[in-house]
Amino acid sequence: MANDPMQQFKIEKIFDLPTIAGHDISFTNSSLWMALTALGVMIFFALTAKGKLIPGRMQSLGEISHEFIANMLKDTTGPEAIKFFPYIFSIFFFILFANLLGMNPYAFTSTSHLAVSVALALFTIGLVVVAGIVKNGLRWFKIFAPAGLPLPVYFLIVPIEIISFLSRPVTLSVRLFANMTAGHVMLKIFAIFIAYLMSSGGWKIFAAIVPIVGTTAIVALEFLVAGLQAFVFAILTCVYLNDVYHVDH
Amino acid sequence: MYEQNRKPNSSEKLNDLKALEQRLSTAKAKHHKSDEEHTTDGSTLGMAWRLSTELVVAVLVGAGLGFGLDKLFNTQPWILVVGLGFGFATGIRSVMRTAARMDAASAHIPIGEDIEEEDDENEDD
Repeated sequence: MANDPMQQFKIEKIFDLPTIAGHDISFTNSSLWMALTALGVMIFFALTAKGKLIPGRMQSLGEISHEFIANMLKDTTGPEAIKFFPYIFSIFFFILFANLLGMNPYAFTSTSHLAVSVALALFTIGLVVVAGIVKNGLRWFKIFAPAGLPLPVYFLIVPIEIISFLSRPVTLSVRLFANMTAGHVMLKIFAIFIAYLMSSGGWKIFAAIVPIVGTTAIVALEFLVAGLQAFVFAILTCVYLNDVYHVDH
Repeated sequence: MYEQNRKPNSSEKLNDLKALEQRLSTAKAKHHKSDEEHTTDGSTLGMAWRLSTELVVAVLVGAGLGFGLDKLFNTQPWILVVGLGFGFATGIRSVMRTAARMDAASAHIPIGEDIEEEDDENEDD
């Protein structure tokens, strides 16, 4: 029985792959669960996208999720940003499924590693930069220097805007990673506490009811957090996409 | 419940429809209320997370940038100090901005609303 609450985050190689430019790209348990996440999303939408005129239960699920993301994108970024719908949709469902799969016993939570959440955040910020430059050209860099301010203020505002822009991928990734890691560690500690109390014998066996209730409550909270973090990641991606369309803000 | 090959007479049909409509509207009203309660709960937690991480991370990024530039120009610890200050200013600024935006939207979460149809051809510019 694992007594170390951090052991669940250990990366283990499943099989080796040849290195590319000195980088180890072996298939690990993290890669396995990411692949399963992608597969899970695909199976979910294969089941829900039947295209019947009168939707059944499964098709309703698919249609509701489409509407949910489309409305979120329209409300936060604007109707012209609907081009980015496929990206928001996939990133939301990837994170949601990764978080939910990670809630299963013996599963590995791939989003609990900074490497994964940073990669996701870099996709988002890379998309904002590339789409912004493609759409506005070099004028896009005006987001760092809002128009109509007296000259001395620019010495203050430009570094602030640059730091603000650079902290976006960090906030995105740290929030996701910290939430998932903290939640799983808390869950594990409470669960270990049950095992200790149960095995120590005597009256302490009855005291185990406290961490049992606690663990149950945390499991519920973690399911909420799993959905919430996927939602926050997606809605912030929408907010950041504003910079593609509204250069002079 | 409503089999397709059974043919009810017209008055029976009308009554059925009326009953169904009533049931639908009550169910909708009930569903809408619970839905709203649920989303505001979730989104307040989301807002709290957004604001707190924004403040903390901005300070860290400012300090990190300062630290890097110090290493680059060999001027420890001066740019770090300045970067820390700018990071803090950024954190406050982005928290204020986000809070203002949240106020403006007054926690408008687009769940359970009807989506308007839109033709994709007109959007490309």
